[in-house]
Amino acid sequence: MTRVLEAPPRHRPRPSRTTGQVPPPPPPPGGDDGPDGDPAPQWAVLDNVVLATIFFIGAEVMFFTGLIFSFWILRLAAPVWPPPLQPRLPLGVTGVNTLVLLASSVVMVAAGRALNAGDRGLAVRRLATAAGLGGLFLLVQGYEWVRLIRFGLTVSSGAYGATFYTLIGTHAVHVFGALVWLAVTLLLAARGRFADGGTAPFRACALFWHFVVALWPILYLSVYLL
Amino acid sequence: MLNWWLPENVSTYGEEIDWLFHLIYYITGAVFIIVTVAFLSFIVIYRDRPGRRARYTHGNTPLEIVWTVVPALILVVLTFLSVPAWSKIKMTMPQTDFVVQVTGKQFNWQVTYPGPDGQFGTADDKTFLDEMHVPVGKPIRINLKSQDVIHSFFVPQFRFKQDAVPGREIPQWFEVTKPGQYEVPCAELCGFGHSGMRAWIYAHSAEDYTKWAAENLRAGAAAAAPETKQEPEKPAAKTGGRAKQ
Amino acid sequence: MSAISATAHAHTAHAAHHEVGFVRTYIFSTDHKMIARQFLFLGLFMMIIGGLLALMVRWELAWPETPVPGLGSILTETGGILEPSQYNMAFTMHATLMIFFVIMPILAGAFGNFCIPLMIGARDMAFPFLNMLSFWVAALSGVLMLSGFFVPGGHAAAGWTSYAPLSAVPEYTGTNWGQNLWCISLFVLGVSSMMGAINYITTIINMRAPGMKLFRMPLVVWSLFITAILLLLALPVLTSGVAMLLFDRTLGTNWFKPSGGGEPLLWQHLFWYFGHPEVYILILPAMGIASEILPVFARKPIFGYHAMAFSMIAIAFLSWVVYGHHMFVSGMNPALGMSFMVTTMIIAVPSAIKTFNWLGTLWGGRIQLKVPMLNALAFVWMFVIGGLSGIFMASTPVDIYIQDTYFIVAHIHYVVFGGSIFGAFAAIYYWFPKMFGRLTNTALGHLHFWPTFVFFNLTFFPMHIIGVGGQMRRIYNPLQYEFLQHQQHWNVFITYSALLLGLSQIPFVINFFWSLFAGQKAPLNPWNSNTLEWTAPSPPPHLNWGPTVPTVYRGPYEYTSPESREDFLPQSQPPLVRAGAARH
Ligand code: HEA
Ligand code: HEA
Ligand code: CUA
Ligand SMILES: [Cu+2]
Repeated sequence: MTRVLEAPPRHRPRPSRTTGQVPPPPPPPGGDDGPDGDPAPQWAVLDNVVLATIFFIGAEVMFFTGLIFSFWILRLAAPVWPPPLQPRLPLGVTGVNTLVLLASSVVMVAAGRALNAGDRGLAVRRLATAAGLGGLFLLVQGYEWVRLIRFGLTVSSGAYGATFYTLIGTHAVHVFGALVWLAVTLLLAARGRFADGGTAPFRACALFWHFVVALWPILYLSVYLL
Repeated sequence: MLNWWLPENVSTYGEEIDWLFHLIYYITGAVFIIVTVAFLSFIVIYRDRPGRRARYTHGNTPLEIVWTVVPALILVVLTFLSVPAWSKIKMTMPQTDFVVQVTGKQFNWQVTYPGPDGQFGTADDKTFLDEMHVPVGKPIRINLKSQDVIHSFFVPQFRFKQDAVPGREIPQWFEVTKPGQYEVPCAELCGFGHSGMRAWIYAHSAEDYTKWAAENLRAGAAAAAPETKQEPEKPAAKTGGRAKQ
Repeated sequence: MSAISATAHAHTAHAAHHEVGFVRTYIFSTDHKMIARQFLFLGLFMMIIGGLLALMVRWELAWPETPVPGLGSILTETGGILEPSQYNMAFTMHATLMIFFVIMPILAGAFGNFCIPLMIGARDMAFPFLNMLSFWVAALSGVLMLSGFFVPGGHAAAGWTSYAPLSAVPEYTGTNWGQNLWCISLFVLGVSSMMGAINYITTIINMRAPGMKLFRMPLVVWSLFITAILLLLALPVLTSGVAMLLFDRTLGTNWFKPSGGGEPLLWQHLFWYFGHPEVYILILPAMGIASEILPVFARKPIFGYHAMAFSMIAIAFLSWVVYGHHMFVSGMNPALGMSFMVTTMIIAVPSAIKTFNWLGTLWGGRIQLKVPMLNALAFVWMFVIGGLSGIFMASTPVDIYIQDTYFIVAHIHYVVFGGSIFGAFAAIYYWFPKMFGRLTNTALGHLHFWPTFVFFNLTFFPMHIIGVGGQMRRIYNPLQYEFLQHQQHWNVFITYSALLLGLSQIPFVINFFWSLFAGQKAPLNPWNSNTLEWTAPSPPPHLNWGPTVPTVYRGPYEYTSPESREDFLPQSQPPLVRAGAARH
């Protein structure tokens, strides 16, 4: 019964279509979306979790599109940007920080390799490194925020402050969420959860991580650089 | 009682809007009648009777193409017919020397005339509250602004409507064809006083308007100060409503 | 997102002790059918509140500034007379509740959950735990929304569209926490609907029964699939918008406040970029339901199955590029307005395809006017009226005049009541036997349908007339305007009709609860339908089918097929001749 509702690993026949007690009836002929005689698709293209994560990322993309679009509207409408008398954003530190975050993504890929190769220890270590880099990114961000607030840039200081804190803050919340997810995955990996090749939850987590990382350069470019 | 329809139109471009309205009315009316006749007669003719079997069919491609293409063509034509009126009303500004500034605020319309010098923001500007005087037969340009929230300047009998957005100045125009007194409700929800936020436009003949301007827009004239809200007198000949006679 | 990984735990826990208690069966159930029932009850409950708010609005419009009966004990200061700000609150919350907490929970929430697994032959949703969470988050959002009525300053009063800066600065409306809660609630609802949508999409893509190819799916599943995609992509835009609005109100940011460099029209762009797909979220499931019910009661295959599916896809695509038609006179660049007019006109074409295909389905059928069919027919007919009034507004010059008048209010109600609510009623009557295992009472069903249909039209059709006469929407007292005096009798007439429309819902309430407990036990397949849900017991047990899920051999609408002596041929019935091409 345990397997009934769960996505089976990729490239395996799907017992989930039945309870698994009785073999499924032979595939039916015909249908409308392929030549007659083709059996209906029997194997899922992607695991449920991975698929769901892809759609989740789709929703997130729309969410950030809303924010970034709004940012650009305000910015293009402003007579001068950044407004005079407002502190400048820390380009350099954040640039380095960007590299830190990008590196975590690379480490994440490496962790996936290790997992596929069956090296659990290495995979866990790499996952921990990725999480560490993500954590470092957040810490540096937090430090910079504190400094900016000391310099007098707050959410209520016009469109400049509002957009900065909303966009960057929302991203930070996402990094934090991704970190939590990563921590859970790390624990699962350490317990050998993905040992039998059922790495879908790991791949889902990695996908989301890459999304959060990939989002950052866009924000960095929009908010800091341009 | 039975005059349910558009209020009388008294602006130059109102006719084009009314014409389109009626065109769409007849098109959609015809579509509705066709659909309804087919719908009701199918329900009656093909109702469940003993011994009848339904027709077994999955569709009819030529028929489906027809009822895709025909509505599409109608709609394309409708679009093309709508474009000229829209560009005339909203996308062009006729030459005119008559400019007023209209500023919405919770819950009044402030109407500012530039005064004899023709410039806004100078000492001889004259501001009226909920009251606007214009001559007929001349394009009137209004610069719409708002102080607080979004309002909408709606003159039903001119077929005129435009939102006033804080932080923007939106130039618009109309030309009145008939003297009279016209109601200007606010058409965008703007707070608890939205209902009842209303101004009056007095359209005068050219001579009457010159007279009014001489009395009220002169440099030294005691203009109606914004504070003293002028209640319009009850119109004698009721042009504010529809022309009932 | 930890919810997804948590699903795995839910399963193991589930298998460990199979006997589930009361709480796990009725309250924190992960069973898609129970979640569907929960959404249905949520929606019906909210409909009563939303409807009563509408009646308050109507009372005020017919007899302005007179006490509303029954409100005297609540509004003690005024003796039951609505104040203008309370009037604004009433229609704002009427629309908010009806759209977000009635139609979305019933059509997408209840029937999405009920139909998708049962009709594609899955045992449950892909992520049952996430599914449960989605309901409870929606319920939380509902509680947040309702709690706004009790905070000082009253509930949100800036219209369901909450145009900034009216909604962005508490002083402008006098509403403080009401509007905040409105934002928070919709934010939470955004999360809930995202979880639901992800679940629906994954389930439909990955969990279909053997033989259930995409183009063998019932059209209602197609419609829910497309709706889920719209939900997934549209709601986040609103979510980002309400987050910014909330920050503007509470943290002092300046997204929408021009005083701080913000842009009021930005809110409208965000809102309608969500809002227009949203209205199709409201109508697509109803279209699917009609496409499901018409063939069953016409005993005839749906006319143009593929055209039906593709036209829904077309509507979904186009719905992203028409949103500007709500902003023709908002101060948006008029050239943009022109291009939005073009796309708006185009989006009527797929609706035309659907309408004529429904008529084609009726043509030559053997039409049984049972209660679900009556409601589905009303849907088709009333949707046409609502759609056609949309053409007036699509033409930009005409919209200059009718924007923000009762013509729009008439349009809204013809599409959402005439469309979505009749679709919801049809679905309730049609699936009730499967959902609750009992038949509804036919006499009460007729007693509900006919008065509802008549009074619906008497309520909302005259709104076109007063709209053409120029009456603005969202006004509290039409008698304040001279040019509206002569049509006040219509307002009175509409209000009487609306009261009767409300009373007409009482047979429905009685029927619903009476059938729930005392209705006749439903057979397996009371309507002789083809689709898979009718092969499961009524009501279906946990995991829906016995040892095997059904296998699908054909499309869903093989009624009166020559292959069968009956006038229906279930999707799961093996063909007599096992030849590869026995269709069409
Ligand atoms: C379920 C919800 C729903 C649906 C399906 C629709 C469908 C449509 N809507 Fe509607 N709309 C709303 C809900 C909906 N709307 C709401 C709630 C508002 C108000 C929001 C607010 O401000 O509060 C609104 C407002 C609204 C406006 C803005 C008005 C304004 O504020 O100024 C416009 C303007 O273009 C519009 C147009 C349309 C069009 C063209 C369609 C089309 O999709 C209709 C297509 C259908 C048909 C046309 C009928 C069938 C076709 C035929 C029979 C074929 C033949 C037809 C011809 C040849 C013409 N709608
Ligand atoms: C899903 C959508 C939906 C539904 C179902 C309805 C249903 C109704 N609506 Fe609503 N309406 C909107 C969506 C909807 N509306 C929207 C989006 C707006 C725009 C808001 C805005 O401007 O921001 C609006 C605005 C709106 C206005 C305009 C307000 C204004 O602009 O000032 C009016 C006025 O008449 C109105 C009336 C009604 C009535 C009489 C019903 C009736 O059909 C309700 C009937 C139902 C019931 C009464 C409840 C069920 C009753 C029982 C279970 C039994 C108990 C009953 C009694 C004791 C009588 N609505
Ligand atoms: Cu000003 Cu409404
Ligand atoms: Cu729209």
